Amino acid sequence: MNATVAGADARTRLLPKGLGRAIDALTLLAIGALLVFGLVIAPPDRFQGDAQRIMYLHVPAAWAMYLAFFVTTLASVLWLVPRTRSMVWDRVAGSSAEIGLILTGLTLALGSLWGRPVWGVWWAWDARLVTTAVLFFLYLGLLALRAIPADPTVRARRSAITALIVFIDVPIVHFSVNWWRTLHQEATVFNPELNPQIEGTMALTLWIGVLAFTLLYLSLLDRRYRLATLEEGLAERELDAAIEARVAAASGSAS
Amino acid sequence: MRSRRRTWIAVGLCATAVMVIVGLAVALSGNVVYYRTVSEAVAERDTTARFRLAGAVVPGTIRETGTGVRFDVTDGNRTVTVAHRGDPPQLFEDGAPVLCEGRWGRGRDAAFASDRIMIKHGEEYTPPDVEVDETSMAATPAPPVG
Repeated sequence: MNATVAGADARTRLLPKGLGRAIDALTLLAIGALLVFGLVIAPPDRFQGDAQRIMYLHVPAAWAMYLAFFVTTLASVLWLVPRTRSMVWDRVAGSSAEIGLILTGLTLALGSLWGRPVWGVWWAWDARLVTTAVLFFLYLGLLALRAIPADPTVRARRSAITALIVFIDVPIVHFSVNWWRTLHQEATVFNPELNPQIEGTMALTLWIGVLAFTLLYLSLLDRRYRLATLEEGLAERELDAAIEARVAAASGSAS
Repeated sequence: MRSRRRTWIAVGLCATAVMVIVGLAVALSGNVVYYRTVSEAVAERDTTARFRLAGAVVPGTIRETGTGVRFDVTDGNRTVTVAHRGDPPQLFEDGAPVLCEGRWGRGRDAAFASDRIMIKHGEEYTPPDVEVDETSMAATPAPPVG
């Protein structure tokens, strides 16, 4: 790798390269630990048996989804405040929203797989499930908005304001089980009494899952951010090449 | 140019906000009260509408019938009989917290005619061999009332 590429490399990354690699390694370790704890060490649930193990993916996926959308909101605020305005925050907001959308889909799919053996149905039109599905489509809309070709500043402002609006659904999703009667259970860990209703080894496994998904989120965010900067660089280069070709064609026809 | 952009953004945002509100309202209007407790259902016995009845299966009352199962559910205050058509779900058993979807049968003491049973498990998780306070566990008669 030559010096200019290395210099460009530093500008295309969100996290320093070493830190990014360390997070990747820790993510793999945490996923390995989650597999061992989730499938072997944690006991089956008294009522649900082995089906309850889906919790160790479903709940961490939902947590990482909240985190991703929170980061999108925070980055959008940082873009909107003139003093901190930077395209860095626009890229972070977009990258995080994209990962959050995947995590929302994962939460819905895993919840459905858990619901079939335990509830007896794949889907229920209760408040938690419906507000989560709405969340999926809201952020899908945000990404569609980001995909509309526009001046980068216009696109960033439009996306930042929309990101603040769609985030309103996040607390609605979280508190839906307390505000309305639902088939979905109420929170086991972050309940209003802050009194986790889960046995020790199961709780530890759940926390390992939360750690693994948090690290996985950071690792994906770092990669998606780099991809965003590289895409921008490519678009600039293509524009330059197109202008050069035009100029060459014009001078060619003039002679 | 600048004002046109602003208008465009404002229209987009308003459309998004309206979609959220309308979507939530439509999706939840019939489901905000996702289920009724046995006591509430008994109080509204005259209704012919479909609804979900929430209660715990009274231990020892499950009997298989030709077309499904018959059992009693209770919310701790009132108890009613449910006549279910079809196979009950995997975790259906004595004490299970259930939501039965259907409507009241005709007649004053008719059973609740259900065609779908869902299990509403609680938020407590524990291994099978641990001594638990039965009154706090998912299998207790009274499901959480919202």
